[in-house]
Amino acid sequence: MASSQHVLLSPAELSYLHSSLSLTPPIRPDGRSPTQYRPLSAETGILPGTNGSARICFADGTEAIVGVKAEVEKTKRRWDDDAIYSENQPTEGEGQQQPGRDGDNGEESGSSEWVELTVEIPGYRDDDSGTIFLGQMLSEALLADGGFVRKLRINRRFHWRLYLDILLISPPLSYPLPLLSLTTHLALLATRLPKLKSEGDEDPFFDDDWAAAPYLYPRDPSNKQKVVERPPVTLLVMAVGGNIIFDPSKEELAVADVALAVSIGDDASTAQQIQGGDKMDVDSFSHGSGSGRNLKLLSIRTVDPPSRLTPPGVANAANSAYGHAQVVSSAGAGGNSQKMPEARQTESEAVEGVWKPPRGGAKAIVMGALVQKVLIRGGVADEVLDALEGVDTS
Amino acid sequence: MASLKRSVDSDPLAANISNKIYVRSTKSGKVQKIVREVYLRQDIPCSSRLCQRCQTVAPKDASGKLIPFVLSDSPAGTKVFPQGHYLVPDTNAFLTAMDLFEQDSAFYDVIVLQIVLEELRNRSLPLYNRLISLTKSEDKRFYVFFNEFRLETHVPRLEGETVNDRNDRAVRKAVAWYGEHLARIKGKDVPAIVMLSNDRDNLRKAKQEGINACSLADYVKQLKDGEKLLDMIPETQDQDNIKEKRPGDNLYPEYFSMSKMMTGVKNNLLHQGIFNVSPYNYLEGSIRVPAFPKALLILGRENINRAVDGDLVVVEVLPKDQWKEPSTQVIEEDAITKNENPDAEESDDFVSEKERKALQEEVKRTHSKTTEGHAQPTARVVGVIKRNWRQYVGHIDQSSVSQSAQQGRKQDSVFVIPMDKKIPKIRLRTRQVSELLGKRILVTIDAWDRSSRHPSGHFVRSLGELETKAAETEALLLEYDVQYRPFPKTVLDCLPKEGHDWKVPQSLEDPGWKDRQDLRDLLICSIDPIGCQDIDDALHSRPLPNGNFEVGVHIADVSHFVKPGNAMDAEASIRGTTVYLVDKRIDMLPMLLGTDLCSLKPYVERYAFSVIWEMTPDADVVGSRFTKSVIKSREAFSYEQAQLRVDDSSQQDDLTKSIRTLLDLSKKLKQKRLDAGALSLSSPEVKVQMESETSDPIDVKTKVHLDTMSLVEEFMLLANTSVARRIYEAFPQTAILRRHGAPPKTNFDELANQLKVKRGLDLSVESSRALADSLDRCVDEKEPFFNTLVRIMATRCMMSAEYFCSGTQAYPEFRHYGLASEIYTHFTSPIRRYADLMAHRQLAAAIEYEAIHPSTRSRGKLEAVCKNINVRHRNAQLAGRASIAYYVGQALRGKATEEDGFVMKIFSNGFVVLVPRFGIESLIRLRDLAEVEPQAEFDAETYTLQTSGSREVKVELFQKVRVRVTDQKDETTGKRGVKMELVRTY
Repeated sequence: MASSQHVLLSPAELSYLHSSLSLTPPIRPDGRSPTQYRPLSAETGILPGTNGSARICFADGTEAIVGVKAEVEKTKRRWDDDAIYSENQPTEGEGQQQPGRDGDNGEESGSSEWVELTVEIPGYRDDDSGTIFLGQMLSEALLADGGFVRKLRINRRFHWRLYLDILLISPPLSYPLPLLSLTTHLALLATRLPKLKSEGDEDPFFDDDWAAAPYLYPRDPSNKQKVVERPPVTLLVMAVGGNIIFDPSKEELAVADVALAVSIGDDASTAQQIQGGDKMDVDSFSHGSGSGRNLKLLSIRTVDPPSRLTPPGVANAANSAYGHAQVVSSAGAGGNSQKMPEARQTESEAVEGVWKPPRGGAKAIVMGALVQKVLIRGGVADEVLDALEGVDTS
Repeated sequence: MASLKRSVDSDPLAANISNKIYVRSTKSGKVQKIVREVYLRQDIPCSSRLCQRCQTVAPKDASGKLIPFVLSDSPAGTKVFPQGHYLVPDTNAFLTAMDLFEQDSAFYDVIVLQIVLEELRNRSLPLYNRLISLTKSEDKRFYVFFNEFRLETHVPRLEGETVNDRNDRAVRKAVAWYGEHLARIKGKDVPAIVMLSNDRDNLRKAKQEGINACSLADYVKQLKDGEKLLDMIPETQDQDNIKEKRPGDNLYPEYFSMSKMMTGVKNNLLHQGIFNVSPYNYLEGSIRVPAFPKALLILGRENINRAVDGDLVVVEVLPKDQWKEPSTQVIEEDAITKNENPDAEESDDFVSEKERKALQEEVKRTHSKTTEGHAQPTARVVGVIKRNWRQYVGHIDQSSVSQSAQQGRKQDSVFVIPMDKKIPKIRLRTRQVSELLGKRILVTIDAWDRSSRHPSGHFVRSLGELETKAAETEALLLEYDVQYRPFPKTVLDCLPKEGHDWKVPQSLEDPGWKDRQDLRDLLICSIDPIGCQDIDDALHSRPLPNGNFEVGVHIADVSHFVKPGNAMDAEASIRGTTVYLVDKRIDMLPMLLGTDLCSLKPYVERYAFSVIWEMTPDADVVGSRFTKSVIKSREAFSYEQAQLRVDDSSQQDDLTKSIRTLLDLSKKLKQKRLDAGALSLSSPEVKVQMESETSDPIDVKTKVHLDTMSLVEEFMLLANTSVARRIYEAFPQTAILRRHGAPPKTNFDELANQLKVKRGLDLSVESSRALADSLDRCVDEKEPFFNTLVRIMATRCMMSAEYFCSGTQAYPEFRHYGLASEIYTHFTSPIRRYADLMAHRQLAAAIEYEAIHPSTRSRGKLEAVCKNINVRHRNAQLAGRASIAYYVGQALRGKATEEDGFVMKIFSNGFVVLVPRFGIESLIRLRDLAEVEPQAEFDAETYTLQTSGSREVKVELFQKVRVRVTDQKDETTGKRGVKMELVRTY
C-alpha cells in the first residue's frame, strides 16, 4: 500500500490545503489540533484462539485486526555448539571462560527470525512494495533494540516463534501505518505465552492452565492493569511549512513537505544501552514534565509523501487562458505543463496561491524538530501511550 | 464500534454458552492454546428414579427411547442419613479408595460427576477404567452426571482461582443442585446427597455452604461392618502427619522433574526402561535400555530409589568407579530386614546395619578379584515415568505384628510380604490384624514417600486361609493377572441359540455349507492327552493312486462361531489364551464352544478348517490346499491308546494303518527339521497325579515321551508353517505370525564358560544348527541326565518367542530360531489361543472364503492384540508352572524322600539344585548345611564352593548330589514349597 495513492484534489485545492496547514496555528480540514489523533475505539482479546489480539477502529472508518500466535521452536545452533556453549559467544577479555557464565551470555541473544510479521491490505497484493514497506517499518520498530526478541527466549535450546498477522479490514482510506502500529501494540500487550514449568535448558514443558500464562509484556505485580514495559509504537508525523502535524489524514498527507514514520519505545529499564549497530540512540529528554516515561527512539523512516506526485498548479502569469503573450504552443492542462519551458520556469519560484509539489529531501533541521516533537516528555507520544494504556488488555 | 466479542447483554443465549481455555502440549513439542465453547443445557437428567420431571425432559435416543434412570428410588441409608442417600465422591476419593467403591456390601447409588471422571482420567488411566466398568455394571448403580454441561451446575472459573479449587467448587455446586433438585419432589422422603472427600478445605467449605459432606473414614464408620472397610482407606490422608516429619528425614533422593528426565532421555544422557528386580537379590535390579546391548545394574536401596519391579523408570549411569559386578550372593529381604518395626521407622538408619554388612562382603569380594574387566556399568534411578503397581497377593509378616495388635481393634501397622519376591514389603495399616493373620490377602501400594523406607499400601480383600486350595489358586490367578471371572452375560449371548443341541445342518443348501468341503467320509481321528475335552485338531492320511499320500490336519473351526468384533471376541482377545492349572482350566472361550460345539469330538459331525497336503513317501510336500470343511472324527485317542494301537501288529484296519503312515511320515519330517537346525530343548516337565475323588495330589511323575506325541507335533508344525506362508502371501503387512529371535551371543557366554571350565566342552552358538549339534555333544557317559540339564540351562538363555504383525518386522526377522523355520504362526489351537483364531480369520480371507473384517486387517489393532497375547501367553505359562510347584509341594507334604539332584547355579553363600524327579529346583544356603553356618570359600572362576568348619563339602557346578526333599512353608512368601537338604555329594 503506497502512501502515494491517488488523491483526487485539484492543484488549487492542494494549494488551499497547503496554505491553511501552513498557518499558525494550522487549520486542519477536520478541525483537529496539530498534535491531535483521530478518535479511535479499541478492544483486545477478540480472537480467542490466538495468544493475543486487538482491533482498532478509527473514526474515519478504517479498521484493523492483529492476531499474535506463538509456537515453540528449537533454536538453531552452530554445528560445534553442542556441549560447549562458550565458543560462539564473542567475549571480551581472556579466552578462558567459565562455562557457567556462558549461559548468561547466551541469554542476551535473540534472532530477528523469531518474529514473522505479515501485513494484509485489502485490494493489494502481498508482494506490493507498499505493503512490504509497511511490514518492514512495523517489524523494524519491534526488532530495533533486540529487547523484544529477548523476551521470546525460553532457554538456550528453545525459543518462541511469534507470528503477527496484521490485517486491515477496511479499504485503506488513509495511510494505515499509525492504525496498524497501534493495533499491533495493543495485540502485543494482550499477548500471553503459556507458563513454563521446566527449568534450565530442559525441553520446555508448560503449564496447561491458560489462566496461569504470563503476559509477554509483564504487568506490575502490585497493579494488574499497569504494564511495566510497553511495545513500540510507530507514529506518522509530517511537516507543512513550519508546522508539524501528527496523524495526517489522506488529504493532509497529499500536501506534506516531509513525512516521517517515527518508532518509539517506552523504555522502562533505563540501564539498557544499545551498543554497536548504526541505530541512533537518543536518550531521554530531560525537559518537559508529566509522566515519567523514558521514551526511546527506535527507528525513523522517511515516507515518500504523495504530494511529490501531485500536478503543480499554473500561475496566472503563465497561463495563456489569461492572455499571456509568451504562450505560443497549445494551451496545456496542468499535466502537460511540465514539458514546457515556461512550466519549468514556474517551478523555480513559488507563487502565492499556486500549488507547487515539494522537491528535494527533508532539511536536517526539520527532521530534528520532528523527532524532538515526538520524543518530548508530555508530548504526543506520551499522549498516545497514555491513551492506549486506557485500553483493557487483560 | 460494536465489539466483536460475544457479550452477555446483546446475546439472549449468552448465558447458555461458556468456554474453556487451556494449553495443550503435543508429543512433537508443539504448544497450543485451545479454546472450547461449552453449550450448556438444561435437559441433562438427574437420573434418579424418584424424579418425575427429569423423566419428561430427558433427551431420548434415536428410536425415541429414554435411557433408563440409574439411581435407586429407595437408596440405602446409614446411621446419619436414615432416609437414604446418594453419594457424590470427589476425584481424590476415587484416586485413593477405588477398592471401596468396588465393594459389594456398600457404595451403591453413586453420582460420578463429569469433572471428577475427567480429572481421574488425567491422573490414572487404570483407575479410570475401573470406574468406567463400575458405571457400566447395572447393580452398582453408578451414574455419570455431566455437570459441566448442565446450566445450573456449570461453574465458570473465578479470577485467580486455581483449577483444583474451581473443580472442588464444581463438585459442591453439583451436590447443592442435586439437593435442591430432589427436594422439589413432593410427598416423599428424598435421599440425602452426600459429598465424599478427604480434602479438609473442601469439607470445611461444604459445611459452610450447608452441604452434607463426609470424609471417607467418617462415612465408612456410619456403615454396617464399616470397621472392615476402614482398612481399605489408604493412609497418608492425615496432612498433619506429613508435615510433622522434618525435611531432613528423607531417606531417598528426590526424583528429577518430568521435563528434566525427558530432556535427558532425548539427549541420551539418561535412559528409560522397565525396572526388573533380580529374583535372587532384592537389592539388585537391572534395566534394559535401548542405548546399550547389555542391561545396566542398579544396586542398593538408595540407587533403586523406590522403584518397584515393572515400573517404567529413568536411570542415570554412575561413574566408572562405582561400577560393580552382579552379586553372586543370595540376599533375601526377609532375612535381612526381619526385625524391623513397621511403626518406628524414623529411628532406623536408612541402610540398616545388616544391609551394610552384606554390602561390605560384596565389596571385599569385588576387590579380591584379579580380573577387573568384570565390573559392569551401574546406574541409579532418578525418576519414575510410570508406576506399574497392581494389586499384590501376600500375607502379613507374623513378626511385624505387636502383641497388643492381635487382640485390640485399634489401627496398627504391619508388613505384608508379597508372594512375588521381587516386590518389597508393603506397610499396611489395619484394624483387623488378628483376623488377617495367616490369610492370603490382596493389597495395593498407595505411595512410597521419600521419607518412608517401605511403600505403604492398603488392604483390598482376603482370599482365605493360607494353603487352602481355593485361596492359593485365586492368589495364583491374581498374581499372573489371569481373568478368571465367569463370562459375562453379553458374552454368553453371542453363543448359538441351540446350545448343546447345535448340529451341522443336514441340508447341503444351508448357508453353513457354503464353500465347505464335505470330508465326512475320511478316516479322521484325534490324538490328545488323556481327558482332553477341548479337541482342537484331528488328522487323517490315505494313499493316493500315484504312490504319494494325502495327509490332512483338521482344526476346529472356531472362527465360524466367534465373529470378529462381538463381545465374545473382545473377551477372548483380552483373555488371550486358556490357562491350564493342575486342577483347573480357565477357558478363553465359553465351555459350550470349547468343549462341545468347536471341539472335534468323535462320532459327530463338526465344522473344521482343513489343511491338506500331498506328500511323497519321503515326506516331501508336493502340494497343499486349505479349505473349510465338515468332518466326522472316527475316534479320539489318547497318546497312550494310539501308541498301543500302532504297536499292536494285529491291528490292521484302515484307521490304524493311516496312523502308522502318519507316524512314519512324522519321523521323516522331524529328521528334516533337525537337519535344518531345529533345536530340541528341554524343560523339566512333571505331572501331578491327583486322587480322583478329592483331587488331592498324591504323586508326581515325570512325563513320558511317546512317539505319538511327536506325530501330532510334527503335523501341527507343518500346518502352522504352511498357513504362515499362505497368510503372509495374502497379507504381507498384517499377517499375524510368530517369531523366535536368535538369542544374542552374550546370553550364552556364561553357560559356554561353565561348560568349558567344568567339562571342557565347547558350545558353539553361531547358528541354531551349530548350537543343536554342540548340545548333542554335551554328554556325560556316566550321567544320562547331564545332556538334559545342559538343554534346560540353554533354554533359559533363549529369548521367548513372540507373536507379531508381519508389517512390523523385516522378513529375515520372521525366523523362528528354535524350530529353524523361516516363517511360523499359530493355527492349530484356536479353542485355546486367540492368535490361532486370528490366523483362522486371515486364512479364511486369504482363500476367499469370506471377506476380511477391518479389525483383522488393521495393523494398529493387530499390534495391540499381539502385545496383549504375548503377555497373556507368558503369564499363562508362569501360572501353570506355579500351579505345578504348589501341587508338588502339597504332594510332598509330610513326606521326606531322598532324591538325586544336580547343581545348576552356584553362589558364594548357597547353590541351586534341580531335582529332575519332581521338576523342581531349590536353593540350599550355606546356613542350611549345618547348625552353625560353615565358612565357605567361593571360587567364581571354577564355580566351586568349598565349605569348612562345621561341615566340609565341596560343591561344584553340574555336580550330582543326593538331597533330602521335604516340604516346608516358606516364611517369606507363605507358599508351601520344597526344602532340600544336602545329604551327600557324589
